[in-house]
Amino acid sequence: MRLEAKLALFNALSKLLLVLLGALVIPPIVSRVAISHTDQRLHEKQAEVVQLIHRSGISTFVQGEAYADYNILKQEYITLTPLPATADTAAHTPRIFDEPRQVDNQIEDFRILSEQFSEGGRSYRLEIGSSLATVELLTDTLRRMALWVLVIGAALTIFTDAAFAHYLLRPLRELITRKLQGVHHPSAFSYTPLHTDTADFRRLDNSLNEMMSKIQSAFEKEREFMSNVSHELLTPVSILQSRFENLLQDPELGHAHSLKIVESQKTLYRLRNTVKTLLLIANIENEQYLRDEAVSLTSVLTDVTDELEDRLTQRELELQLDLQPDYVLPQANRTLLFTLLFNLVSNAIKYNRWGGSIVVQGRPAPQGGYLLRVTDTGPGIAAEHLPHLFDRFRRFQAGASAPEGYGLGLPIAKTIATFHKLTLTVESEVGKGTTFQLQFP
Amino acid sequence: MHVLIVEDEKSLHQEVRQFLLQSQYLVDSAFTYAEASEKIFVNSYDFVLLDLGLPGGDGLDLLREARQNERQEASFIILTARGAIDDRVKGLDLGADDYLPKPFSLLELQSRMQAIMRRKFGLKRQELTFGQGFQLDATGRTLRYQDQDVTLTKKEFDLLHYLLLHKNRVLTRLQLGEHLWGNVLEDDSDSNYIDVHIKNIRKKLAQFAPTHFLETVRGIGYRMTE
Repeated sequence: MRLEAKLALFNALSKLLLVLLGALVIPPIVSRVAISHTDQRLHEKQAEVVQLIHRSGISTFVQGEAYADYNILKQEYITLTPLPATADTAAHTPRIFDEPRQVDNQIEDFRILSEQFSEGGRSYRLEIGSSLATVELLTDTLRRMALWVLVIGAALTIFTDAAFAHYLLRPLRELITRKLQGVHHPSAFSYTPLHTDTADFRRLDNSLNEMMSKIQSAFEKEREFMSNVSHELLTPVSILQSRFENLLQDPELGHAHSLKIVESQKTLYRLRNTVKTLLLIANIENEQYLRDEAVSLTSVLTDVTDELEDRLTQRELELQLDLQPDYVLPQANRTLLFTLLFNLVSNAIKYNRWGGSIVVQGRPAPQGGYLLRVTDTGPGIAAEHLPHLFDRFRRFQAGASAPEGYGLGLPIAKTIATFHKLTLTVESEVGKGTTFQLQFP
Repeated sequence: MHVLIVEDEKSLHQEVRQFLLQSQYLVDSAFTYAEASEKIFVNSYDFVLLDLGLPGGDGLDLLREARQNERQEASFIILTARGAIDDRVKGLDLGADDYLPKPFSLLELQSRMQAIMRRKFGLKRQELTFGQGFQLDATGRTLRYQDQDVTLTKKEFDLLHYLLLHKNRVLTRLQLGEHLWGNVLEDDSDSNYIDVHIKNIRKKLAQFAPTHFLETVRGIGYRMTE
């Protein structure tokens, strides 16, 4: 998941949590606020009534009977009730409670402040009520408003936060798409500095550029070095090879010396091939080859078998090409792929029994991709040798019967396979044969 | 045939020179960029054998320069030990006629030169006759004995052709093998494939006429004689 998406997700979730928390916490708070607000109003009214009584005298309100007053909508009422003399005449602090009262044949819930007081030797009860319906209406309004403010605020900040994160992370996005994606080689890297004023991105970009240019210069040095090494090693070999060829043409050369020269030629040939192999491997590993062709396996294998036809006939081997369907490797180097398959098939010829067979089988792999198998009917390879089969310069069958050339064909094959992002593996059963497997992506 | 060897490595230069002189070429020498540039400008050659890493400059520039000079009609063969992969492509793009990576076989060099000459003079058919009545057509890749076709495999044909091109020379198994498998890297130097090929060629030719012209030189290789 991208950083920006993660940030946005987290942002949205935290805001949602905030809104939920608000929905949970706001109603009780609001109702408490509303109630305390009502209570305060009741107290204020009580004080006003008491003041009125003091000023005008109790008789203004109560003449023998109880006094009651309410407004038209019955949201509030005030009653003054004389208490019987037997009752407890002691003054009480005002009490506030909720109780239903009948007002004009209608029963309604009220918030009531009730107080007992003495005036002129008599006790009275003063009740001031405020309709609970009114209180609830207030609570509802407050609650709704608070929630709306919360939701709108949350939505607004989610949006602005996301927009800001998007703006802030733009250099990072650019860094990834422009500089990192699709860059497999330093030469394809873009060194134009990133446009940003965020210090962290600036630093990231700078170190990326710095590292890439280091890698590039290392690549170039390596390339130059390989070119020099190649020149330094191959030139003397070339001189000797030409000299031996000239010597062999000398009519005065005796037979014994000619034989020595032929032997020297062989030795030189071995040296030459070792050097060339190492250079080839080094050049492949240093990405000096392009992979810019779509190559069909059948066409390469046809070329390979054409080249090797005579060897197959000489050893009375039967080769079976069985690719169903053909596979086209989209980004490949045909020459290298030829070398890889040539080495595998040529190996299967060299290490086969007389009159045996070779099967080259290609099928879509069950786990996806494509699988090419080259199976011979040779003596097989002992299990303990298998892990080292692709090591450079290792030979297993010692002695005169061992065929030449076990040393470098397979490491080359492995290197080329890796270069093409293929997996080369081997299975073998002593006495039955060996199978090399190429797994294509 | 007038050949200019452009090669700064003295020993190699000497060997190539000796070989070409023995093969009846007229040979001129240049050891540096400046020297080569001068000679290419003044003289006209049939061939320039061009090393790329020269004191004083890059052989490719020499090639570019020469191709801009209309009087110079020489065929260029690049000989290099530089490992750069794109040298070959660059060289051929600039108009080189062939490219031989070092180390190369002198015989291979000579047969490439012959092939270029054939192309240049528009020789459509190259017919080589040998034995009594064998005729090898290198262009059509056929071998005939009088009026009959002799069927050879691709490798057998190449081998016979190469031996004919270097008539009266002893060719070692390595030289033959390198010609047949030149583009493939193999450390199979002791293989007896060449012997089997020769045996098969002899068997096929012997059905028509004696094959004493294809000699075995014990321990060394094979030779085609008149």
